[in-house]
Amino acid sequence: MKTQKLTGFLLLALIALTACEKDFREVNNNNNVPNAVTPDLLLSGVIRNSVNQQVGEAWGIGNIVSQYTAKIQFVNEDRYLWNEQNGIWNSTYGNYRNLQNIFAQVAGSENNGYEGVALIMKSWMFSVATNAYGDIPYSEAGFAKTKALYTPKYDKQEDIYTGILNDLKKANEILAKTTTLISGDILFGGGGNAPLKWRKFANSLRLRLLMRISNKRDVKAEMQSIVSDPVNFPLMTSNADNAELKYLAAAPNQWPLYNARVGSFDEFRVSKTLADRLLAIGDPRLNVFGRPSQKSIAAGAAKIEGIPNGLGDVAALNYNSGPQGVSRVGYTFACLVCNDNGQARPDPAAPRGIIMNYAEVQFILAEAREKGMITTGDAATFYRNGIDANFAYWQSVVPPQYGINVAPGAAYLTQSAVAYAGTTNEKLDKIYLQRWISMFFTGLESWFEFRRTGKPAITPGPDNLNGNKVPARYIYPLSEQSLNGTNRQEAVGRQGGTDDLNTKMWLTQ
Amino acid sequence: MKPKLFSAWLKTFFGLAAWLLLFTGYAQPQESGNLKGKITDAATQTPMSGVTVKVISSGAIATTNADGEFAVPAKKGDRLEISYVGFGAETLSVLNDDFLSIELEPVKNELDEVVVTALGIKKDKKRLGYAIQEVKGEDLTIARESNVVNQLAGKVAGVTVVGSNSGIGGSARVTIRGERSVDLNKNQPLYVIDGVPISNAITGGSGRGNLEVDFGNGAGFVNPDDIESMSVLKGPAASALYGSRAANGVILIKTKSGAKAKGIGVEINTNTTWESALKLPEYQKVYGQGNGNGGDFAFVNGGGAGQTDGTDEGWGPAFRGQSYPQYNSPRTLNGQPIPFTGGDLNAPQGSVITSTPWLPDNDNLKNFLQTGRTFTNNVALVGSNKNGDFRLSYTNLDQTGIVPNTDLKRNTISLSGGYNFTDKLSARAFVSYINSESGNRPSISYGTESIMYLFNCWLPASVRVKDMERLWMPGAENLRQYSWNYNYHDNPYLTVMQNTNSQSYDRVIGNVSINYEFNDWLRLQLRTATDFSNELREYKRAFSTQRFPFGQYRRVMLNNEERNSDFLLIFNKDINSDFNVTANLGGNQMRQTSKYDESVAGQLNIPEIYNLTNSRIPLVASQQDIGKRINSLYGSAGISYKNKLFLDVTGRNDWSSALTLPENLKSFGNEDNSYFYPSVALSAIISDMVELPRAISFAKLRGSFAQVGNDTDPFTFTQSLNPSEPFGTAQVYSETDRLANLNLKPEISSAYEVGADIRFLNNRIGLDITYYTSNTINQILNIPLSITSGFNSRVINAGKIKNYGFEAMLNLQGIKKKDFTWSTDFNFSANRSEVLELRDGLTNFVMASRRVSVEARVGERMGNLYGIGFARVQSTNANAPYYDKSGSFDGQMVFDANGRPVRTTNRILLGNYNPDWLLGINNSFNYKGVRLSFLFDIRSGGEIYSETQTVGREGGIIIETLEGRADGYDITKEGNGVIGQGVIANSNGTFSPNTRKISVREWHSAYTGGRNIAEGVMYDASFVKLRQLQIGYTIPDKVWGSKLPFRGVTLSLVGRNLFVWDNVPHVDPEVMSYSGGTALPGIENMSIPSTRSYGFNLSLKL
Repeated sequence: MKTQKLTGFLLLALIALTACEKDFREVNNNNNVPNAVTPDLLLSGVIRNSVNQQVGEAWGIGNIVSQYTAKIQFVNEDRYLWNEQNGIWNSTYGNYRNLQNIFAQVAGSENNGYEGVALIMKSWMFSVATNAYGDIPYSEAGFAKTKALYTPKYDKQEDIYTGILNDLKKANEILAKTTTLISGDILFGGGGNAPLKWRKFANSLRLRLLMRISNKRDVKAEMQSIVSDPVNFPLMTSNADNAELKYLAAAPNQWPLYNARVGSFDEFRVSKTLADRLLAIGDPRLNVFGRPSQKSIAAGAAKIEGIPNGLGDVAALNYNSGPQGVSRVGYTFACLVCNDNGQARPDPAAPRGIIMNYAEVQFILAEAREKGMITTGDAATFYRNGIDANFAYWQSVVPPQYGINVAPGAAYLTQSAVAYAGTTNEKLDKIYLQRWISMFFTGLESWFEFRRTGKPAITPGPDNLNGNKVPARYIYPLSEQSLNGTNRQEAVGRQGGTDDLNTKMWLTQ
Repeated sequence: MKPKLFSAWLKTFFGLAAWLLLFTGYAQPQESGNLKGKITDAATQTPMSGVTVKVISSGAIATTNADGEFAVPAKKGDRLEISYVGFGAETLSVLNDDFLSIELEPVKNELDEVVVTALGIKKDKKRLGYAIQEVKGEDLTIARESNVVNQLAGKVAGVTVVGSNSGIGGSARVTIRGERSVDLNKNQPLYVIDGVPISNAITGGSGRGNLEVDFGNGAGFVNPDDIESMSVLKGPAASALYGSRAANGVILIKTKSGAKAKGIGVEINTNTTWESALKLPEYQKVYGQGNGNGGDFAFVNGGGAGQTDGTDEGWGPAFRGQSYPQYNSPRTLNGQPIPFTGGDLNAPQGSVITSTPWLPDNDNLKNFLQTGRTFTNNVALVGSNKNGDFRLSYTNLDQTGIVPNTDLKRNTISLSGGYNFTDKLSARAFVSYINSESGNRPSISYGTESIMYLFNCWLPASVRVKDMERLWMPGAENLRQYSWNYNYHDNPYLTVMQNTNSQSYDRVIGNVSINYEFNDWLRLQLRTATDFSNELREYKRAFSTQRFPFGQYRRVMLNNEERNSDFLLIFNKDINSDFNVTANLGGNQMRQTSKYDESVAGQLNIPEIYNLTNSRIPLVASQQDIGKRINSLYGSAGISYKNKLFLDVTGRNDWSSALTLPENLKSFGNEDNSYFYPSVALSAIISDMVELPRAISFAKLRGSFAQVGNDTDPFTFTQSLNPSEPFGTAQVYSETDRLANLNLKPEISSAYEVGADIRFLNNRIGLDITYYTSNTINQILNIPLSITSGFNSRVINAGKIKNYGFEAMLNLQGIKKKDFTWSTDFNFSANRSEVLELRDGLTNFVMASRRVSVEARVGERMGNLYGIGFARVQSTNANAPYYDKSGSFDGQMVFDANGRPVRTTNRILLGNYNPDWLLGINNSFNYKGVRLSFLFDIRSGGEIYSETQTVGREGGIIIETLEGRADGYDITKEGNGVIGQGVIANSNGTFSPNTRKISVREWHSAYTGGRNIAEGVMYDASFVKLRQLQIGYTIPDKVWGSKLPFRGVTLSLVGRNLFVWDNVPHVDPEVMSYSGGTALPGIENMSIPSTRSYGFNLSLKL
């Protein structure tokens, strides 16, 4: 009897243990979060993350290497002691994972607007990444999930450009025909106008990238085909078309620098290069980009005083008798506790995360026309439009309570340094100068433009640690050495054999 | 340091040799005639009658009379075996004496020791085919640690314990026999109380803009006063019956019961200790705040308005008796003193900061830290009779840490009881309720919320910290903090007093079991156990905190539960006089759930109101509910032959929910959620089988083979899309960057172990040695991917890791006299783990990364640390950089034209964080009731990276930064500036010595290439620690007479971690840092000083 009881018990136990398969399936299902969402929920994140990266990159490297700003403390970046810079890399490929989800969801549906928008975001991000690093994974990238591709090969930069330019063209076509209403579009606000704005962005970006490779390839026909067909290839026509993220007043979507510590924000100051160039032409935009030094205010003669780039630690902190003698970065871009005495708190929603502005498009056209790459329009007009647009832009961005007058003086446009006159080279220099001013805080774009044109000049600082050369690129992330070593090595070999700041990528060869 | 360690090792070795010689001499046989003697009970000192005395060589036998006396024909050198029921057998040699006075001790003979093995089954230690080592409860309660796990250090061979220094019961990371998994979180042993697993979860405390906080590991909350013993099951053979989670060994905790009490008794233990920093960082005290410009200092607004008052570095003017306006200097208005100081930025307009002497604050950190103190009081009521027993225990721990305003209060109530309902039916239960409250646990790692970030890197010697005890600017209380630097830093007192990380933790651990004995050879045990905890964590941040100008409040609720229910059928029968068979059959169901709820008010409306309703901005919430189940069936069988040959086999099958595909995915994957694994162990008492030399009194050989399977974390199959804060009205999701794998298989670890237990000279020398090797295959790993693939990591089955090592325990009973005993224990272990294979062409797995990366590379040792190094001249490869065919500069550091070290392009091997070997040496002396014991813990080898060095150099704070500023900053002066030792590469391919001098400030950041080169800040983590010292005296009971009820009154002076000898500057080499709940060994990141504790313990019974 006892034995029977025991057997019965054991059987029960066995049944209890093995009959829970269904339970097990339920227990191991992650019900905390979904495993699929609609494209709009992904698009918003891609835009926010990539633009935040763009802002961070501009602040950390772009503004410095382009000599808009210079550092007074922790001067490594300013002395070209760049260790790995993985922000762009991680952002591009991380966001690409989410874009791949969008592509997968719209696959098969004709002219889906999300596909067009996703192609544009992809193209922009990859254009920044290849410009920063050179050859990078592109055609095989992002396929770990769908194709089990874990170590994508590095594509040649030339091929990446071809891909990007094709995608932008395709995106323009899709969006021309789409009837999809786009949501989650925090860049252009979605709705009925959005497809057109995205098309303008796509075509403008195409112009930017065509110009960028114009030393390497004949891009005249392609440029002309865009410029001469504004119906099918609309371009940005005003600041209202700018591709820029408008930050919000409420946390956590405020201007990314808004939460910085005051000391960290103040490590970055107005570059002497910027101050000198803008003061020389009496450009009031300098009052947006910087603030008068405390020392000059105390002395009763408020003025913006820049600091040379690339000074050593001690020299940088002591330049012009210390931090009080060097202008801080403009109030518009400031952190919550970075206001000066007597001023209101900075507006967390004033600054924008700039991808590309209308002014830049005008300067591209001016250059193209001046060089005879296109035959449409008038270079002087394009040039003038660019300048006007950028002044208007900052007038609209800077909150009136800051009391900053951005309007140019009467003589601004007519002075010889600005007036569109002189030899072709002189005119081009003026375009480059104005373009440089207009691209303040626009990611790494001014640095890329410098590499193409050498204008306006960048003189490495006296204590630079890169042999008096402006860095030509970022090194690949160190983790690639172990995680995608063979492909990285192949790419390094293709680009000259060393992976350092001075390695020449296709664009700069 | 190496020589110091080596000499320590040498001393140990010679000491050992001396002991052995001594014993050999002692055992020399000598001639003698008929032998008389007397035998007494060692405990009661009464004569023992009926004791058998046998001369081994002749077989002559005598029995003691009523006076305990005997006479037996024996001569010098003969060996006697003395045996008595309940007292075991003792063998001794006849020496010169013609009258032998022998004291017999009740069975404490380790040979007959019964140990608790897997599932709580008691076994004779001598039959075990694997290594088990036990730590007794009294070793845990006299010299104490708030985290009981730390007590294992040095006491058990093969066990490595690294505690995190938070001053108050921080977590401890235990590894047994090295690391099997390349997932750093998966190398911890399983903790088991009374046969049932408990949770040892470390739930990380970081993210949302707050730094890490170490809230402790699960096992660390167990109350040492309720522990009778801790057994460490080291290898898979020992732990195989525990299944999946026991792959890294098991720590078995047996709780105290009242069973040993006669009648009713009260046991009291009270302990008081004080804690102080064991080792403080050394800061330079020659130069004050400044930036290396050689100029003066003047405070204006702590933000750069004065002279170098915005910097936070120690490159300022030397202390020469001058005066400067400083943050704590008084202000005057129109020449009149006003109640404001320099740092009061709300002082009236026009007020002036007067100069005060420029002096170093020599003991900033020392003055900031306080003496910690810990009171632990335990009272237990115990009782038993023939029907049952009970034990009710209450323990109160009250600790204040060495960091101001950090504390821990822990109350534990435990009840343990058993009752025999009938001869056949009995029941036992244990329940322990733990309430642990901490008003503040310090933030750790690098950032403004961590005090060590300030002290080690950014606090110049000129800043007198004490004056910041005033937290606020006058009239701006709770709104504007008062500080020395408003650019970057928080007032450290504000950090600890106001910006608190509190923890309120309630936990119940309990189990109930019922035993039914069908007959004398078959019994059934049913058991169910629970371990659940509720925890509330609150992070409060005051207004004007650097990172949180409007304050912050973060509230985290954690709820964890683990339930285990099992049955066990136990069979034990002598088949005939030679064979005994035991067999067990059991099953277990484990259910785990964990819930995590977090809400963050990123900014507050009103200061000091830490409530979610006081949020200025929308709350951010997150929630994660996780469940897991494992069902298991297992069995074991053992056969023994003549009590000298033992064979044990076990088998277990697990079914894991974590390896079960969810319903919607089941058709896509290849499910493998059931796994079986066996073990077999053989042991033989050689000394009972063959004649061995006389010097060997006991010899056992053992060997085992075992496999242990393992599953993975829940939700490994699901590819999730995670929400983040919306952008306005646009909701935001993104796909997790970890790629799931629907075809995971369970991990299997296979281990072999051989060992020997040999006792010499009447058991006065005991040597237990073990060699083991294990291979772990199909490891479930989250391997990192190149993000270019779209994902940062992917879960795979991969890898083959080999683990092998050697353990030795040596016990020497140097002196064993009635009044005086001296014994020494050595615990030695050396372990190596190697990566034999990864998978998918993977040659390298990055386990963790912070400046240096912990990597597992094929063919290399686990725990290797890679990082950027100094470029060096080499003469081996003409195609590689810095080739010097002359060889005359081989190995020298290369400097660039600026005099800065050149870095390597690739990460290079900089060391390994695992020790080469570990040795614990414990000495105990016992003289007439006075006990003295001390434990040395020695670790040889292993490297750590020091972030304190990297950043402390940059800030000019640590003492190393005096190099290159013998007399200020004028680089033309002798002793100022630094010329790096090495060469420069000439353009023609030759090398010449570096002669470029660079300024001191530049040098100290160039040394790490701007926080990039790790090679210069790697240190040998070897150490010798005086881990424990105890002096105790037990007052003889007769002192109290019959009127006072006191019994066994023992007073001890105790100390833990009293001294350390090592070679790592500034920090205790036993450190680790934390990242997202993962302990990162080998990386020091602003660790809070570890503590030395000393005090006294009083225990008594009523």
